Amino acid sequence: MYDLIIRNGTVVDGSGLPGYQADVAVRGNRIAKIGKIAETADKEVDASGKVVAPGFIDPHTHFDAQLLWDGAAKPALSHGVTTIVPGNCSLSLAPLKADHRMRLVGMFNQIEEMPYKAFREGVVWDWETFSEYITRIRKGLAINVAPLVGHSVIRLWVMNDAATERTATDAEIAEMQDVLRECLDAGAAGLSTSYVDMDETLQPVPSRYADAREVDALAAVLGEYGRMLQIVPEFYDPDLTIARLDQLAEMSIKYQIPTTFSPLFVNSDNVAAVDKVMNRVDEQFARGARVWPQVQTRPIDISFSFAVPSLLFIRYPNWYRIMRFGTPEEIKAHFADPENRKARAAEVADAKELWPRLVLRQVKTDANQKYVGKTLAGIAAERGVTPVEAMIDISVEEDLEAHFLAADMGHNNDDKVVSLLKHPRVHIGASDGGAHILSFSTYGDTGYLFAHFVRDLKTMRLEDAVKKITSDTASIWGIPERGLLQPGYIADIAVFDPQTVDRGVEKFVQDVPGDGSRYVRDSHGVDTVIVSGGIAWSAKGGYQEARGAVLPGETSRQPELVAAE
Amino acid sequence: MSDTKLSVVRKSIRPQAGDSWATIADRELPKLKTEDGVSSLQSWNLHVYMRAPAPEGSPRAGNPILPSDVIFIEPPMAAA
Repeated sequence: MYDLIIRNGTVVDGSGLPGYQADVAVRGNRIAKIGKIAETADKEVDASGKVVAPGFIDPHTHFDAQLLWDGAAKPALSHGVTTIVPGNCSLSLAPLKADHRMRLVGMFNQIEEMPYKAFREGVVWDWETFSEYITRIRKGLAINVAPLVGHSVIRLWVMNDAATERTATDAEIAEMQDVLRECLDAGAAGLSTSYVDMDETLQPVPSRYADAREVDALAAVLGEYGRMLQIVPEFYDPDLTIARLDQLAEMSIKYQIPTTFSPLFVNSDNVAAVDKVMNRVDEQFARGARVWPQVQTRPIDISFSFAVPSLLFIRYPNWYRIMRFGTPEEIKAHFADPENRKARAAEVADAKELWPRLVLRQVKTDANQKYVGKTLAGIAAERGVTPVEAMIDISVEEDLEAHFLAADMGHNNDDKVVSLLKHPRVHIGASDGGAHILSFSTYGDTGYLFAHFVRDLKTMRLEDAVKKITSDTASIWGIPERGLLQPGYIADIAVFDPQTVDRGVEKFVQDVPGDGSRYVRDSHGVDTVIVSGGIAWSAKGGYQEARGAVLPGETSRQPELVAAE
Repeated sequence: MSDTKLSVVRKSIRPQAGDSWATIADRELPKLKTEDGVSSLQSWNLHVYMRAPAPEGSPRAGNPILPSDVIFIEPPMAAA
């Protein structure tokens, strides 16, 4: 007798080997048998015509805050993602002293676009240490979490305000090492740091004040545990990226740790740049280093309204300043002023090919509904103004609630992107799930991988795509007993239809605490998602059992334990 | 394995404690006058030179260089 049987599916087991017809039986939280199964089970899933694969692992997310009010990291779980890695880019929500909470909230607001109000209304601050944070999120956890601890946060914990003023003393570095050990003992999957991020005052985050010896000392601690070091390099410049990956390689070899840098984008105007970085990656792997570049599957789309400081405007100081620091009334007044309108249009004139192709997605007023779905070029022609002026005018008319889409902004050279996704030394990731929630949807990258590259373009084998986001990821991160479908392994499983799996259309929803909004995408073609042997989500039943574990230390949560909670 | 030879990439350094454009120029570009060295460094490191200034009163005021920065000490290499 089994607890769960998935019948008649095509098992794509995560190894990269060809799929095959078989049933999969689960007992407790583990896969008990794969093959023809005559016995019955309490629950059965008919997977006829569908693929049965290991649950997907998303190695670059920022669900740290969302996990406080949503243990399923919606909608990631519904896309087949059974394990997420939050805490990237030097930012985690622990360890965190009470005095530092608002500073960190400011960073999350600036970097991840998580509204202040969400923290005020969605968070009970009942933790300080990493262990306490883990205890806090464990309740109701439906997705597995392999959390990184952020370097900026450790620095803030040890150095207080000096974290953004100077290098650390030897004593402070020793204390940071001890704090990191405590976090790793409490379940952290590794350490993240950043060389690009800014706080809410547009000043560098604490990790950027660290000198090489501090990072080296922390890497030494990672070496004691064999855990991951993740960095965000200056990804816009290949020479800087190479300098950073060389630094990672030295630490990887010295301390025998895995390292990863994210993101690595394809710039269609300079495809040679990514080749240059990959050549270096190959050389460093040949030396014995582990320096995994993370490449996302989706092209870069940016959605925005004038109500929030979109990434699209970050290189235009006056635009970004008014959107970042202005109240809605101040923003409206600014753009309604003819002189400001003229000056702001002039400021963005260099991007003359961008503005005409932006699409108006959503408005509030009846008067402007006729423009929805049209490009700014078309709207501008109808109104007798320039595209930028049309964007400004409609935003003012809509009380800043006009939503625009800048689609295919980059990383859209399919041939080049798929060559990276298939590369044996590339790690598929960098989804940024749970971040940039007011700029674009960070969910559905796995659906896009299967729909676009496997099914539509036929440039990647299904089995290879599954392997890249399951067993490869588990191996890279040192996550035991997951990433493969084989007897004895933990039953994290995604059942999906290869003919229909996809990401849905991006939509703007209001489901963030404090009446906050975000862009999301529903899953298409995913049938059932199983975590630790329990059905966590299904297309028919929605969100169900919560058996998420904290990885890599906690192998799995036994069903009895979850029930007791 | 670690004896594998790496190809030549653009030379860079990590700042030392108290470094400024001038101290880096004097140390890394000793054949140049300080002001010429500073000018070269700034043109090769726009990611640092163009950084938003630190607020007044900050210990960083007037010096954009961060301890974690990569500072190139030569111009970009010609494409192969």
